[in-house]
Amino acid sequence: MNYGRAALISTFVVGGGQMYSGRFWTGICFAVIFYGSIVLMINIWTELNPAFWGLVAVWILVWLFNIYDAYKGMSYEKPQCEKTCPAGIAPWIYINLVATESKQYYPFVPFFDTLERICPAPCEEHCTRQGINSSVAIKYLKSGVKKTIPSFKQKTKKEKIAIVGAGPCGLTTAYYLAYKGYEAVIYEKEKIPGGVLATLIPEFRLPKSTIDKEIENILNIGIGLKCGIEIGKDLSMDELLKKYDAVFIGTGAWKPEKLGIPGEENALIGFNILEQIKKGKNFNLGRVGVIGGGNTAIDIARSLTRQGNEVKIYYRRSIEDMPAEQENRIETQEEGIEIIPLTLPKEIKKDRVTMVKTECPEGRNGPVKMIQASEFNVALDNVVMAVGQQPETDFLKGYVKLDKFSRIITKNGKTSHPKIFAGGDVVLGSATVAHAVGHGMKTAKRIDFYLKRIPLFLGRLFSKTYQPKVKLLPINDINRITIPHRDIEERIHDFEEVELKVSKEELKREATRCLSCPLRYRP
Amino acid sequence: MSLKRIIQIIATIIQNSYIPVFFSGGIYQGILKKGCVPILNCWGCPLAWYSCPMGALQHFIGLKLIPFYILGFFGTIGMVIGRMSCGWICPFGFFQDLLYKIKSVKMKLPKWCSYIKYVILIGVAGIAVYLTGEQWFCKLCPNGTLIAGIPLILADKTGDLRALVGWHFYMKIAILIFVILFSIIIKRFFCRTFCPIGAIYSIFNRFSLLKLKIDKEKCIECKSCQMACPMDVPIYRASNHIDCIRCLDCVKICPTKAIKYELR
Ligand SMILES: Cc1cc2nc3c(=O)[nH]c(=O)nc-3n(C[C@H](O)[C@H](O)[C@H](O)COP(=O)(O)OP(=O)(O)OC[C@H]3O[C@@H](n4cnc5c(N)ncnc54)[C@H](O)[C@@H]3O)c2cc1C
Ligand code: SF4
Repeated sequence: MNYGRAALISTFVVGGGQMYSGRFWTGICFAVIFYGSIVLMINIWTELNPAFWGLVAVWILVWLFNIYDAYKGMSYEKPQCEKTCPAGIAPWIYINLVATESKQYYPFVPFFDTLERICPAPCEEHCTRQGINSSVAIKYLKSGVKKTIPSFKQKTKKEKIAIVGAGPCGLTTAYYLAYKGYEAVIYEKEKIPGGVLATLIPEFRLPKSTIDKEIENILNIGIGLKCGIEIGKDLSMDELLKKYDAVFIGTGAWKPEKLGIPGEENALIGFNILEQIKKGKNFNLGRVGVIGGGNTAIDIARSLTRQGNEVKIYYRRSIEDMPAEQENRIETQEEGIEIIPLTLPKEIKKDRVTMVKTECPEGRNGPVKMIQASEFNVALDNVVMAVGQQPETDFLKGYVKLDKFSRIITKNGKTSHPKIFAGGDVVLGSATVAHAVGHGMKTAKRIDFYLKRIPLFLGRLFSKTYQPKVKLLPINDINRITIPHRDIEERIHDFEEVELKVSKEELKREATRCLSCPLRYRP
Repeated sequence: MSLKRIIQIIATIIQNSYIPVFFSGGIYQGILKKGCVPILNCWGCPLAWYSCPMGALQHFIGLKLIPFYILGFFGTIGMVIGRMSCGWICPFGFFQDLLYKIKSVKMKLPKWCSYIKYVILIGVAGIAVYLTGEQWFCKLCPNGTLIAGIPLILADKTGDLRALVGWHFYMKIAILIFVILFSIIIKRFFCRTFCPIGAIYSIFNRFSLLKLKIDKEKCIECKSCQMACPMDVPIYRASNHIDCIRCLDCVKICPTKAIKYELR
């Protein structure tokens, strides 16, 4: 559908563009309001007076809105799943496409398959279906969606944009910029692109084949990638700013945080272990204690268990408050890895660790207090620290404003330097892939507006809404699908993927559980 | 079709069905016109049986009398059902409900716009009327233009009324088109922003016998109720919001049955 043409038709014939784009009755209504009132005025015309100009102003308003409406297409109220998605995906639409076995494609979203596997799925928490039984398996249903693979795009614009960091955020930004016809060049410190996804997240959660395929799809549309160049060391920011029209920073959060306790230098650093394991190294560490409660801690524990070590996780808050993805945590417990909550290390020695019990009555964001005289010793051969990461932004000092956790301060993707934009973990601290993708999408738009010198609000006003053909299905009482996992005894010995796929019919059955809220709940 | 729609249609017909007008012309001026309907429905409509309470209120204010009859009328209805009549029997509300069904770009109304109606009530329908003795709200009311002004002028055979058309009537038409346009874009734009009758009833929403109650334990914050609400009220967190018109659609659709109404 060509909305530009619809808008053009509407400019000359009020309501015509709406009819052209398939909204017959809308077109009729606009025409009746506009032409009807003109006919009425001709009919009862008496004299020209000042109030007539007010009437003309209202006619112009109707005419302008009619053009705008023809250009933008109809809108719907966003349901909770779409509102809460950090990546701006509309789950209810792709679920509907799966349920109706539609021939339409859902538009390409970078890292869609990755999100299917490792997203914490905030969308499922507010799903309306919970009112009937339990939420739709929104995340898992991504595997049933028909995907398009974008093809090479010709460069049509002369501006060049440098992107620092080939993590999910950098790649998404590059994708959308290239899609718009800009030349995007990515600089990556490591030998391979993909950031955390390619270098840290273990195979059994996100297979290498998946992530390689996704990166290939993105790069295929014509993005320059320069691996092995670290900005700040091999190439300075000054040079980048001189050579390019805009610079995007998506360097993630890679600097491990420290607890500041005696003997911490004896402990191993979590990221290093994950990186080595991903490269194929086998660790033999004996009894290991992993400190932390995020995805990093859990991934380390699960990986080390698979290599035959005896692992326990120590976390300072309660199990429910762990920031790790819930499914990841549950699978960990299934695999027999013990999580010991409300515990902090106080001193690390060669063969044992002194722990202290804690309490945190206020939950996840409240303070953690140590309980007096509750120290106890644990015999451990090795301790692995995974207590969070901070961005490494020393190379940006003097260019952009940073906060006290050395994160970049941004407003809608824009930093304090007019040419520098940022997104992903450098802005948020440790977050999720969905946030990285969402930031990439929004910042690419922002950069586009900046290079075209369009103010943000105008750009937002005229961005098109996606117009899917969706169908309302009746409510059924099917229960939520149980996602099959590999046998526990079998999976704790290798690095193959834990989650299994189900047949198309079962996915379709699950998809029909969606209530399609925007279609169903309208006044 | 839902019960609400059926009642809206029936109410519209009952209030505006003075069929003899097609033979006699003019408007009905019998005994029923002494009574008012509890909602905005212009008494000047050729088909109308009853008066509009806003017109009556301004009539008394214009005469510098205290409108006990009208205030008691509003007070009684407001105390019992709050703003319910807006949702179920108001023809102009029904008209706006239909307009919002047009598939187009939709927008949200900023929160502060909900308070404009009090300014209209006190300023246009109160102070201005008291000072000048003219019924200012009626002079601007889009409902009056739609169901009284335009039909009367079009049906006018003698030409007396047509001769009166001037800047004032042009302005009325401009206001009407403006309200229609924004009712397409925004849910019940006129009711939420301008309606003085709604403004009076909305004060009673907190005290009325009929109340909505939210079971916070059951609510999952899916916000379906707000999506389905014709007034865009976030009912799950403000059960007796000034803009709630008690249409009870949310009670029907809430998937967890967390919304209940009670009459005490
Ligand atoms: C172990 C682990 C498990 C996780 N599990 C999950 C999960 O299950 N679900 C989920 O949603 N999220 C998870 N996350 C979080 C998620 O991976 C991140 O939020 C996401 O990858 C952030 O993307 P990014 O593009 O901002 O940064 P990154 O992915 O960190 O990418 C940054 C890239 O920039 C490069 N770079 C850094 N500095 C420079 C420089 N100076 N010059 C050039 N290049 C540079 C880096 O090498 C890297 O490739 C996990 C994170 C970790 C560490
Ligand atoms: S529809 Fe019901 S469950 Fe959903 S937000 Fe409203 S009150 Fe809560």
